[in-house]
Amino acid sequence: MNKISISLNLNGTDRTILVYPNRRVVDLLREDFKLTSVKEGCSEGECGACTVIFNGDAVTTCCMLAGQADQSTIITLEGLAKDGELDLLQQCFLDEGAVQCGYCTPGMILAAKALLLKNQSPTEAQIKLAMSGNLCRCTGYQKIHAAVKSAVVIYKDKMAQGGESID
Amino acid sequence: MKAFEFFAPKTLAEAKGLLNQYGESAAILAGGTDIVIEMNEGHRKPDVVIDIKKLKDLAYVRIEGSKIHIGALTTFEMISSDPVIRERVRVLAEAASKVGSPQIRSLGTIGGNLATASVAGDGVSAMMTLNASVVLDSVRGQRQMPLAEFLDGQGVSSRNALLADEIMTEVFFEMPDNHTATAFYKLAKRKSLAISVIGAGMLVQVDGAGICIKASMRGGCLARYPLHFKAAEEHLIGNKISIDLLEETLPMLHDAVYESAKSRPWSVFYKKESVQGVYRKLFAAILEQLNGKSYE
Repeated sequence: MNKISISLNLNGTDRTILVYPNRRVVDLLREDFKLTSVKEGCSEGECGACTVIFNGDAVTTCCMLAGQADQSTIITLEGLAKDGELDLLQQCFLDEGAVQCGYCTPGMILAAKALLLKNQSPTEAQIKLAMSGNLCRCTGYQKIHAAVKSAVVIYKDKMAQGGESID
Repeated sequence: MKAFEFFAPKTLAEAKGLLNQYGESAAILAGGTDIVIEMNEGHRKPDVVIDIKKLKDLAYVRIEGSKIHIGALTTFEMISSDPVIRERVRVLAEAASKVGSPQIRSLGTIGGNLATASVAGDGVSAMMTLNASVVLDSVRGQRQMPLAEFLDGQGVSSRNALLADEIMTEVFFEMPDNHTATAFYKLAKRKSLAISVIGAGMLVQVDGAGICIKASMRGGCLARYPLHFKAAEEHLIGNKISIDLLEETLPMLHDAVYESAKSRPWSVFYKKESVQGVYRKLFAAILEQLNGKSYE
């Protein structure tokens, strides 16, 4: 088996790595790049724990081969905080108590982030739809939903005061 | 996961060349949402993987004359958000919008769905309802065939007619006109992240007087390939479409499901009843489109 070269923009930095092709993107991120916020849950695309933002879309990395990441842009949870300051969504998850065991949290936050990067004033229905690919076995979803809604409201206020864009 | 060689061709010609060279030992990777899981679980062990997702030319929704052509690598997200599909082809827009989850819809492709030909493939049910055709390509040349024939075929696998050196490039179908209504309903345990229990499609075309001139009814998860409700279709054709006429087909749906699934008693008792509830939803959607008012 020949190794393949994968070049991608990972959390804002251009990276190139040589890997065996028989690994998935979740393995590539966790084991080769040591980005352990990416969680493996069901391993069959049905829980959303391994969600990252891939070329602007939320995707489940357990159903992707490493080679599919070549020439892509990937954002993991590690790429959200800037200069030691948490992303607005991360802060809202903390403030609303939207985290219990935490295993689903990175995927949840990235699913919400992918939505907000495309649509900065989503409706409740659009938030629910965007988060529908992520399962949580602890919280009952109410606080997670509240955290995303709260981020939308705070962001709108900031924009009204001439603040920065969401990314 | 077993070792394999990985290729990511940049052109269709390059992809066809690789398929010609490696044939049965190669597996095509489109969205990957089925095959990567099968490979990871050891159910599939290809020696060569050909990742075709970078063939951006095969991702499109295009109207040509009276037909809609969809590239094989068009994702469910692209299909369900396409304005023409949403407006004119509700059976497909609805089916595409209910596949898996947002994450799966951003990866999964219509070509992959049709080639995988799962019993529960919602794209398969929708495309069968539309009487779609598929285009297969190889270094030997292109061929096209109705989807029904494709699914009946014996190719490199028993699932469909795709030969070892072939790649599906397109699916196309007649665009529903202003006198045609279509609908899809997915019955599942949850709205998201749940496999279909029944994924049923319906198409009805009427003439100026409201007489049915074409009917198509296909139910996924009720047979190996979407179950064809032929008796029900024949009952509608030539008659004026009304809620009463539509409901007269319910016993036919019950009987067709019973005949198809009677060897599986653990599912048939539920499905022969629930298929009627599913089609009641479809009847309401069809009447609403034809008459412009709500029936729910």
